Amino acid sequence: MPFAIEIDGLHKQYKGAWNPALDGLSLSVKKNQVMGLLGPNGAGKTTCINILCGLVDADSGSARIYDMDCSRDTLAIRRMTGVVPQQIALFYNMSAWENFMYIGRLYGLQDNIVKERAQNLLERLGLEKHADKRVGRYSGGMKRRANIIASLLHEPQLLVLDEPTAGVDVQSRAMIMSFLDEYHKRGNTILYTSHLLEEAEQLCDEVVIIDEGKFIVNGSPKELVAQTAGCSRLEDVFLHYTGHSVRD
Amino acid sequence: MRKTLATIIKEWILFRRDLAGLLLLFIMPAILIIVMALVQDAPFRDYQELRFDLLLADNDHGSLAGQIKDGLKQSKNFHVIDSIDGQPLSDQKLKTLLMQGKYKVGIVIPKGATAEVVNSANTIANNLSKKLGLGSTLPVREHRNDAYIRMYFDPVSKPTFRTSINYALDKYITYACSNELVKRVSKLSRMSNEDSSTTDDESMAKVFDGVGLKEEALNDKGAYTHHMNSVQHNVPAWAIFGIFFIVVPIGGHIIREREEGSALRIELIPRAHISVALGKILFYTMVCVVQFAVMCSIGIWVMPLIQLPALHLGLHPMALIPMAFAIGFAATSYGYFVGTIFKTTNQALPFGAISIVIFSAMGGIWVPIELLSPAMQKVALLSPLHWALDGVHELILRNGSFADIVQHIVFLLCFGTCLWLVSIYKYNKRGHSIQ
Repeated sequence: MPFAIEIDGLHKQYKGAWNPALDGLSLSVKKNQVMGLLGPNGAGKTTCINILCGLVDADSGSARIYDMDCSRDTLAIRRMTGVVPQQIALFYNMSAWENFMYIGRLYGLQDNIVKERAQNLLERLGLEKHADKRVGRYSGGMKRRANIIASLLHEPQLLVLDEPTAGVDVQSRAMIMSFLDEYHKRGNTILYTSHLLEEAEQLCDEVVIIDEGKFIVNGSPKELVAQTAGCSRLEDVFLHYTGHSVRD
Repeated sequence: MRKTLATIIKEWILFRRDLAGLLLLFIMPAILIIVMALVQDAPFRDYQELRFDLLLADNDHGSLAGQIKDGLKQSKNFHVIDSIDGQPLSDQKLKTLLMQGKYKVGIVIPKGATAEVVNSANTIANNLSKKLGLGSTLPVREHRNDAYIRMYFDPVSKPTFRTSINYALDKYITYACSNELVKRVSKLSRMSNEDSSTTDDESMAKVFDGVGLKEEALNDKGAYTHHMNSVQHNVPAWAIFGIFFIVVPIGGHIIREREEGSALRIELIPRAHISVALGKILFYTMVCVVQFAVMCSIGIWVMPLIQLPALHLGLHPMALIPMAFAIGFAATSYGYFVGTIFKTTNQALPFGAISIVIFSAMGGIWVPIELLSPAMQKVALLSPLHWALDGVHELILRNGSFADIVQHIVFLLCFGTCLWLVSIYKYNKRGHSIQ
């Protein structure tokens, strides 16, 4: 079974919405691949991630992670998946260290294991000196890095990141990108969404562009650039397929 | 269990960093119980403990007025004022002072009142003499209908106050009339019988005192019985109100966790939510127990410092611990419920706060439910605050034991469990923590 994620004909329409968030979306992510899920605002990226991690039920279609059904095998999937949400999913009035200890305990990990893992990740993401500071007092970049650490304490095989570098300075972004590359090279799979196409071009083995809940095109960034007439960058390809009109 | 313990530790960390929350949970209820106990001290006091200024215009100057005055003075409930600036009170002056609101009550003893009492006593004595064949009679004249003692009240006086004063005065008038009757019968007896040794005034008076009234403790345990007073009512009542006000911080806390995203983190961790919810509820329930203990301590040690009676915890004070636990569980579960069903703090906090005020009004926190209409007394049974207060009263006023509060505890635990289960169900619906 070569796929970490398989999505087939996924359809989702929220109550009161005019248009479906996902309209028959199909895609797959190979094991040990970094897949970039790209699309303009409202394309359905976050809905797709929420269905994958069992936060939202699809109306129809199927989503599977490591051959497990995302709507039924939610607990098993959550054990092997790390999700870095767009929100800073941490307790702001607690230090990063206190957050990690608490989250580790909720995963059922022994304190010594949590400490070791948190220490390594803090060092790797440049937060070791700030571990005892309350998360609410962190800069945007520090919060994003702490958010990533919290998602990795249980050592997931699949990491799903929803715009992990939004609002982050250049230095923090570089550190996060370097860390994700290293994490991928250790044999893990990454599904990643971003509006920063340079970042995707640099990190991803393959990207899939979706719009209005539908699959548009996929391929490696280089292939897509080469295949699309008049495009020299991934951003050109993106605009070619999704148009120049502003999305709300 | 480890996850629950981890949550309790986490809640403790957050709790001690939230100074405003601490103030709300401890200092505000402490201020509330002290203020309410002070404000309601006078209304709660028995009339035997209070001393009223009573205006008295004596137009009679006879023995009746003297006996009423003596009776009022001896009762220690009344401070009789029959002259102002050295001048005896007139009817008009008395009414003016009452209208000005300077005094609450006044009585006017009409001219000839003593003569009328004597006349009535003579009539009764003559009837008795005739029936007993004593042969002697006392002088009587025709009965006057206008010789009644008039009472006047400040218009703002409450009906219960008027009734109480009315009863008290009636007692003294009856006593004075009875006394006069005893004197008249004694006089007749002496006129008919040379030997007065068995019918003197003193022995006749003893006949009237033959059956008296004495209040005794309801329980047969030889223990003290504490009557309802401001402290016994207000300390537990407002402590319970304060405990239920934990709905506000808990509701806000749960919504804030959802808004900040930390609730999403919990939802993404397999099988964490129930343990987290249990840890949260256990932690805040323990906070409620501590809060109740602090409020009781204020009742015991602080109230006497401000001239109020000390709170007494009854014969089984340890039974207050499970009672406080049940109250805390119900309050915390309600807060959890409010935080779960509402999406924003703007919805949850006003609902939580106002619903507690409504529950408290229904449940007898503001006014004892005995004073409510029969229909409202039935509605009160739906309020968890009623069960909480009644359970505490069972222990501290009726000297009950744990067995006497089992049904109160069961109701509160069922109330809390139902709300908790609804909250868990709501939370378990997918995407609950997604904003």
